Amino acid sequence: MTALPLFRRAFFDTWRSTLGWALGLAAAIFLYLPLYPSIGGSAQMQDMIDALPPEMTKALNYDQIATGPGYTQATLFGLLGFLLMTIASVSWGAAAVGGDEESGQLELTLAHGVRRVQVVLERALALLLRVVLLAAVVCVLVWLLNGPAQLGIELGNLLGATVLFAGLALLSGTAALCVGAVTGRRTYGLAAGAAVAVLGYVFNAVGRQSKDVEWLLDVSPYHWAYGNSPVANGADWPAAAWLWGISAALVVLAAVALERRDVGA
Amino acid sequence: MAAAISAKSLTKEFGRREVLHGVDFEVEAGSVFGVIGPNGAGKTTTMRCLLDIIRPTSGTIRVLGTDPRAGGPELRRRIGYLPGELFLAGRVTGRTLLAHYEAISGPVPPGRVDQLAERLGLDLTRHIRKLSKGNKQKLGLVQAFMHQPELLVLDEPTSGLDPLVQQEFHAMVREAKHRGQTIFLSSHVLSEVQQTADTVAILRDGRIIAVESVSGLREGAVRRVRFTTSGIAAHDAVARLTGVPGVGHVEVLEADGTATLSATIGGDIQPLVRMLASLRLTDLVLEEPDLEEAVLTMYAAPQEEAR
Repeated sequence: MTALPLFRRAFFDTWRSTLGWALGLAAAIFLYLPLYPSIGGSAQMQDMIDALPPEMTKALNYDQIATGPGYTQATLFGLLGFLLMTIASVSWGAAAVGGDEESGQLELTLAHGVRRVQVVLERALALLLRVVLLAAVVCVLVWLLNGPAQLGIELGNLLGATVLFAGLALLSGTAALCVGAVTGRRTYGLAAGAAVAVLGYVFNAVGRQSKDVEWLLDVSPYHWAYGNSPVANGADWPAAAWLWGISAALVVLAAVALERRDVGA
Repeated sequence: MAAAISAKSLTKEFGRREVLHGVDFEVEAGSVFGVIGPNGAGKTTTMRCLLDIIRPTSGTIRVLGTDPRAGGPELRRRIGYLPGELFLAGRVTGRTLLAHYEAISGPVPPGRVDQLAERLGLDLTRHIRKLSKGNKQKLGLVQAFMHQPELLVLDEPTSGLDPLVQQEFHAMVREAKHRGQTIFLSSHVLSEVQQTADTVAILRDGRIIAVESVSGLREGAVRRVRFTTSGIAAHDAVARLTGVPGVGHVEVLEADGTATLSATIGGDIQPLVRMLASLRLTDLVLEEPDLEEAVLTMYAAPQEEAR
């Protein structure tokens, strides 16, 4: 008998999807970063950003776009990369248990010699490894372009930002997995994962606008991760611990919920 | 261990809707037990309880001597299960998918998967999403049978299979029984179950309303007999036929000095055969009993009376 059969199926049978997301992230990196010397660093661009309403530059995190790390933080880790990673993670998370149950396949799996807790844990592991793999691809490609695109990012900061980048996507993915496991519905999982990501982003954008709504930043995972611009200033490690810790808790909750309820009823 | 499965006062509520209202039955080890009943009678719910996919609201279950709730993976490895609504997906071949199920079930003898696939006429090199419903069903049967489990739980196993493959499936069930395996299967029609089952339970509205041996049903069942005789007056022939115990619904058709009589006969056919031997017959048809009709007439009565 082979080890971790459920993990192997979840991880290897979706290699096309993983490859697709990796290519998408690579395309985003090659689209944005080489443009830095001509856009982000130029005085013209800075003039244009200064001309924009300050609320808008804050919302888009474009206030630091004039530096290489700030540009990478705002365009890649904060926007397009965040979007792609979140969609990948949430779709995998929602499919892991809820989607599998809704399609009717979970019933047959559970009729075999597996424990429900094992099903959740092995599939969460497959989610984790796929997210880490994508984050690693991003990290390596950014490092490769660091010199040619004159970004001036420090390796330590890049690694720290990658950990937060993966942790933020993983939080949405595990939220999707957890709600999928509790409800048995893929759509509810997708909604929960999307809500964590979108609300986190919106709370960050709004919370940065004025002191009165600053408290929104405290409940924004996006702000936990990116509040101090990790690509420029290094990772906020306690924030990383929170992101990964809450993800782990959501997986445990999913396992407990699935263990206690009827499947496919 | 005489009983492979025993269920006592099994009830199941989904929210406020009670689906099973106290199901009782026992399946003897090494036998083939068929559950029939209309859709929604509770067949699938009962089977899912046996595999701990859903948990009964009350009542007790023993599967291979163990409570499924406590038996865990060790118990389920000794069972082969085919769900009623089989859904298989993924961009993998049938062989890859079976290798996955092999990894999470009991040990599969080498060559067993290919042998089963060949019997059922299933191409294992094709991708699952390209398989027809019938071929997916075959894949489901292979994964249930491949590790030669002590107990097979098969929900509507022949759905989607063409008649030739159904025959092969019946042969597989007989062989499994011969090997000492227990088979618990369901269908919404009796004719499917009667070919393989030793015992039939009728489930309706969440209750077992009857448990009968198939041979018992066969004895109690009504056959149709039709024969043509010559050299005897029609009324005389009718008189002799009605004299046979269990005969009813006699009809007669006279033409050119021959008489064609048809009737139904229940119970023992020996007296009928003896009577027929005394006639000069030119034609004789004695139909196989329709158990379905037998069951329907037996249990058309309200449930309270049927119990």
